[in-house]
Amino acid sequence: MVELFERLAERRAGVRVGADSKLAAVALASVAVVVGATLLQVSFGAYPLSLGEAWGAVFDPEVALSVEAWRAFLLSGDVPSWFTQQQHIVWNIRLPRILVGVLVGANLAVSGAVFQIITRNELASPYILGVSDGAGLVVLTVLTGFSGLLPFVPVLAAFGGGAAFLLVYVIAWKNGTSPVRLVLAGVIVGTVFGSVQRALFFFIDDLSTVMSAQAWLSGSLLNTDWGEVRIALPFTVLALALAFTVTQELDVLALGEETAESLGMPVERMRFAVAGIAVLSTAAAIAVAGLIGFVGLIVPHMVRNVVGSESRRLLAGCLFLGPALLVGADVGARLALSPIQLPVGIITGLVGGPYFLYLMRKTENMGEV
Amino acid sequence: MADSDGALDANRERTTASANDSADSESGTALDADGLVVGYPGADEPVVNGETLAVPAGEVTALVGPNGSGKSTLLKGLANRLEPDAGRVLLDGRRVESFGSKELARAVGRLSQENTAPDTITVEALVERGRYPHRGFFESQADGDEQAVDDAIAMAGIDHLRDREVGELSGGQKQLAWIAMALAQDTDVLLLDEPTTFLDPRHQLEVMDVVGTLRDESETTVVLVLHDISQAARYADHVVALRDGAVYARGDPDSVVTAGVLADVFGIDADVLETDHGPQVVPLGPADEAASGGDESR
Repeated sequence: MVELFERLAERRAGVRVGADSKLAAVALASVAVVVGATLLQVSFGAYPLSLGEAWGAVFDPEVALSVEAWRAFLLSGDVPSWFTQQQHIVWNIRLPRILVGVLVGANLAVSGAVFQIITRNELASPYILGVSDGAGLVVLTVLTGFSGLLPFVPVLAAFGGGAAFLLVYVIAWKNGTSPVRLVLAGVIVGTVFGSVQRALFFFIDDLSTVMSAQAWLSGSLLNTDWGEVRIALPFTVLALALAFTVTQELDVLALGEETAESLGMPVERMRFAVAGIAVLSTAAAIAVAGLIGFVGLIVPHMVRNVVGSESRRLLAGCLFLGPALLVGADVGARLALSPIQLPVGIITGLVGGPYFLYLMRKTENMGEV
Repeated sequence: MADSDGALDANRERTTASANDSADSESGTALDADGLVVGYPGADEPVVNGETLAVPAGEVTALVGPNGSGKSTLLKGLANRLEPDAGRVLLDGRRVESFGSKELARAVGRLSQENTAPDTITVEALVERGRYPHRGFFESQADGDEQAVDDAIAMAGIDHLRDREVGELSGGQKQLAWIAMALAQDTDVLLLDEPTTFLDPRHQLEVMDVVGTLRDESETTVVLVLHDISQAARYADHVVALRDGAVYARGDPDSVVTAGVLADVFGIDADVLETDHGPQVVPLGPADEAASGGDESR
C-alpha cells in the first residue's frame, strides 16, 4: 500500500516535471529570441554598431548598475552627463523601444489567454470585448477635434477602452451574462464604434495626422522611449500580478459556468473581475503601442499547443512568448524595409495569418478551448 | 473522508423498504424541499411548482419522469443554483441560501448533464479542480487535496486514465472522470443529473457501480436523475416519479415502478417483471392518450 502511494507520488511528480520542462523550454527559447532581437535592434540603424559592440553596450555595467541612470529612465530625471554618444543611443533610444515591446507583448499575450478562457472561445483576442474600439474612437476624436489633449492620448485611450468594455457588459447583461452574449455585445459595440471612428477620418485635413492615426490603429512601437515604459510598467506589473493570482479561478471557469457554480464560484462576479484584470492589461498595451493585432490571439494558441491548458502554465508561457513574438516582429518592422519603418502590427498580422492557416490545416476541431 | 469512515459500515445491513428507515441509525433528512417553486428567468410558468420532497440522508434517491417534467430543474433548485420563486430548501435543517457559495459547494456537489473541459488537461488535473471549494483564495493546495483526489480516482475506477488528456477519452471515460471530479469535492450530498444518458452499457454500469459504492460504503446522500427506470429500480433506495413539475409517486422501487405509474407518468404500456435485481421494465408501446394524462404535448 505504501509502495503504491510512493509510486503514485512519483508518477505525479513525473507528469508535472514533463509539463514544467516544456514550459521551461518555451521560456528559454523566448528569452533567446528577445536577446537576439535586442542585439539586432541595437546594432542596426543610423549609428551602426557591430554585434560585439551592441552586446557590450547592452550589458554595460557602467549603465546597467548605475542608480543615477535608472532614476533618469524610470523617474524621468535628466540623463547622466557622463553618457557617451553610444550609451545615449543604445540606452536612451534603442533599448526603451525593446522594453516597451516586451511589456506590450506580455500584456497582449496574457490578456488574450485570459479572454480565451473566460469566453471559452479560442478565437477570442484581447480586443474581443470592445476595448480596442473604445480606445480607437477616443484616439480619433482627440486627433480630429481636441489636439490640445494629444499628450494625454495614452491614458485617454486606456480609459476609452475601459469604458467600451463596461458598455459591452451593460449590453450583454440580462439576468447575468454568458460567453456568447458577451462576444455578441462586443461585436455590436465594435461595429458602431468602428463606423464612427472611420467617419472621423474624413474630418482630418492634415495628411500627417491621418498617417499618425493610421500608425496608431495598426499598432506601432515607433518613437517609443522611456516615457512609454514609465506609463506601461506599473499597470503591467499590477495586471500581470493579479492575473497570476487568479489562475485557479481561471481553471475552474474553463470548466463552464454550471460546473464553476457547482464548485462554489460566484461566476458572474468572478468573470467580471477577471475580465477587468485582462482589460487593465490590454489597456496598458494599447496606451503605449496602439492596436497591435494577432499577438493576443496566436501566442496563447502556440503556448497551449506546447504546455497544455492549465492556466498557471499557460499564462507563464504567454508571459515569455508574447514578448518574444512582438520584439522579434519589431525587428522586421524596423529593419525589413529600412529606411521606411512599418507599424509592428502589420508584421504580426503577416506572421499571424499564415500561422493560423497552418493550425487550421493541422487540427480538426479548432475553436474549442 | 466520508468513504473511509463508511468502509467500516460496509457490511451494515441495507434495507430496501423505506418503512424501516426511521429505525436506521442514519435516518434523517439530508435535503428537505418544501413548497418549492422554481423556474427559469424569463419563462412565464415555473418548471417545478410547489414541490415538497424529503431526501433521506445516506441513501440513494432516483428522480424519474418524462422529458420536461422538471427533474433537472428540481435538482438545480435543491442545490440553490436556481433561485426559488417560493418555498424553501433545507440542508441539514438550514436554508440553502444561507450558505456561502463555497460552503455550500463543500456540502452539496452537483454534476450537470453535459460538461465540457479543455481537451488538453489531464484527468488528474480535472479531478483536482473538484477541490476548489476547499481552498482559500490564495491557496493552491489545501490539506487533504491529494488524498481526496487519489480516493476519488480510485472510487471512479479510472486510475489507468489518470495521466491521459481529457480530449483523448471516450464519452464514457469522460463521464467517469467528471464523476471523479464531483467525488473529489467530498460532499455529503451528491446530485447527479442523468449520469448514464448517452453512455454505452458497460460505462453505464461502471457509473452505476460508483453510485452503488456510495450507497453501500459511505454516508453520502445521492440524488440522481435517471432515464432508465430499471436502473433506478435496481440502484436506488427511493424512487420519485415526476410529472409536469410535480411529484406523482414516491417510495421504494417496488411501490413506484408499477405498470400503473408508468402509464400515468410516462404514457407507456409496460410489463413490470419481478426479478432479483428489483423490478425490471419491459416497455410495450405508447399508452392511450386518455390514460396518460396529457403528457404528449411535451
